[in-house]
Amino acid sequence: MATLAATAAPSVTPSLALPPSQFARLQPHTYLLAHLSPPPASNQPSIRANGRAPSQFRVTSANAGSLTHTNGSAVVRVGDTTAVCGVRAEILHTDDIASWSVSSSSATNSNKRRRLANLGEKPTEEDEEDKEDAGFEDEEDRAHMQDLNLLVPNLSLSTGCAPGFTPGAPPSALAQSLSHQILSLLHSTRLVRADDLRIWYQPPNLGPEDLERHNESEQMDVDAGQGAGSEESKPREIKAFWVLYIDVMIISLAGNPFDAAWAAVLAALRDTKIPKAWWDIDNETILCSDDISEASKLSLRGLPIASSFCVFEADAAAGWRAVVIPDAEHQKAQDQRKKGPQQKWILADPDGYEEGLSQERACLVVDKPKNGKGKTVIMKMEKHGGWAVDTEDFRQLIDISGQRWDEMKRILDQC
Amino acid sequence: MMADRRRVNGPPGGTRPAVFASLSGSGTGAAERAQRQRQPSELRKIFLKTGLIPTASGSSYLEFEPSASLAAARANPKSLIPPSSALKLACTVHGPKPLPRSAAFSPNLVLTTHVKYAPFAARKRRGHIRDSTERDLGVHLETALRGAIIAERWPKSGLDITITILEAEDDRWWGDAPDSHDASWGMMNVLAGCITAASAAIADAHIDCLDLVAGGVAALVSDDEKQSSVAPKLMLDTDPAEHRSIVSACVVAYMPGRDEITELWLKGDSSKAALEGGDKRSGHEALVDGAVDAARGAHTVLAEAVRESLLKTVGQV
Repeated sequence: MATLAATAAPSVTPSLALPPSQFARLQPHTYLLAHLSPPPASNQPSIRANGRAPSQFRVTSANAGSLTHTNGSAVVRVGDTTAVCGVRAEILHTDDIASWSVSSSSATNSNKRRRLANLGEKPTEEDEEDKEDAGFEDEEDRAHMQDLNLLVPNLSLSTGCAPGFTPGAPPSALAQSLSHQILSLLHSTRLVRADDLRIWYQPPNLGPEDLERHNESEQMDVDAGQGAGSEESKPREIKAFWVLYIDVMIISLAGNPFDAAWAAVLAALRDTKIPKAWWDIDNETILCSDDISEASKLSLRGLPIASSFCVFEADAAAGWRAVVIPDAEHQKAQDQRKKGPQQKWILADPDGYEEGLSQERACLVVDKPKNGKGKTVIMKMEKHGGWAVDTEDFRQLIDISGQRWDEMKRILDQC
Repeated sequence: MMADRRRVNGPPGGTRPAVFASLSGSGTGAAERAQRQRQPSELRKIFLKTGLIPTASGSSYLEFEPSASLAAARANPKSLIPPSSALKLACTVHGPKPLPRSAAFSPNLVLTTHVKYAPFAARKRRGHIRDSTERDLGVHLETALRGAIIAERWPKSGLDITITILEAEDDRWWGDAPDSHDASWGMMNVLAGCITAASAAIADAHIDCLDLVAGGVAALVSDDEKQSSVAPKLMLDTDPAEHRSIVSACVVAYMPGRDEITELWLKGDSSKAALEGGDKRSGHEALVDGAVDAARGAHTVLAEAVRESLLKTVGQV
């Protein structure tokens, strides 16, 4: 590699008459290295081959609600990478859930009181503050969301988005991995509230016999209807759930599909309107109202924004050749002394060309609670493929991700 | 059915699409059938742009102008049910590239076409695996393009054309019950769009062609209550959601420079047609001529898009 660099470096001069685009193809590593570490004499700043600074993201634009047959949709372009996301809501009847009657009867008995009490304080829950009440409620939410598969994200790369993916073939490893990452991030950030997806039914208070029976039951467990007042005659029950099919089509792939796909999912979910639905006792089915004023938007928890990075190393094999001495601190200090020119660059939002030249990737998902006024919260942190990025670097990356959050919030608020 | 383990699957019991309650009293206006606002020979505007996908050798994006009712519904949303939909599709061309070693020798360019609907493209959710209608569209598209490409200039090479349909046309107005006149009329509009978009993408990839192929649709429609009494009228570029019943429809792939049709697909009964006095053509002749006229209209947009694409490449070099 070292000899290559030595021979190739002079060829940047126009004497060889090789246009930069061809040189970029023939010697990609050297080409990017030459851009990132210009000779000190030339007085040029270190810049990437695509003209960006190392921590600069590509120009991003988002547009929501343009697809007709979806409950919510968004198109996000990050540079030349384009992701289209459509959210479709369908109904899952509790009758169709095999284990529903077993699991729910135990849950409702033990939790009746809490749920009724919860009803009373509902209006106050409106404000943005994440006032998550008891752990049990959370646990039930999680169980509903995950065990019933209420969120179904799928990402498709077989759209002709890049030459490597054959259309019509089953999803590639990358597509499967991205679908799974989106799913696990949706669950771990608890972005969608289970309460938005539940369709309740309040059994009516019909005749005197009903009332009597109700009174009896109230005597039996006295505190059942505590804060709920007289109109809460029978405990309401869940009749169905909304299932959100979140389909992402990567229309154009030029590196960093995850950031674009996640931003599209987020923008589409923010755009999603769920129709008002109720249990129709005569037809024994769920009916919906098509009136848009009765439909409700999803109230999402926070705004997690993903930022991906890749690490470009001047000599990628150096780490493998190095002799690792157990005394890491000592080794590091020695390294610092030895290090002359910069050996690694952490590049934000890599394009396809840079992704091909780096092994190590890092991905951070951050949120800033209270509309950006709070401290940056890390929702997900991932790093794989090498050991060039250390704790100190990660601190910087978190700052960069925080700035990216501000930028993305502005873009998503506008769309 | 075996669950697809390569994808994230929904609830194992399956889900049902939302059923909307009776619309009569809702006052949202969704229950009214959309009306065609255009003249019988007036086409919808087409948005066609090339080169949006830089990783492909050629690409194009095509969009039909939303119908008047859809535009009104978008500007002032009242109902969650869209009155009609407008075609949106993206097309990419990869190649010419060497055929895999395992492939048999071919003295010509081998053309492969894939048409795939996005799961959210239609009123009913689509599966992830290509179904027979999508394969059928792919075959029709291949036929339409094969006649235009000068294939012998690329021996032992392959050309992949992939179309992703983000939003498809409806087959009928959503409020109508399926009946005997029913067929997948929306598919014909989709095919016409696919042909035009693919042609632009091929030109964008600098593949030599005899001419630009444009797709056009014409149909015989009867908008009257009593379908039998009045002969159906000829209309160009029909949106199935705007008509009570389509009796017959035709889609052509047409090269105006050579006055040649590379693909002709005619469905339904075209024996009766209400033509102007003195017009001696038979029903199906009138239908094919109408489709050719529609294709001529699409060709003007196509030529402009290709000119733009060329100017862009000239500017680059």
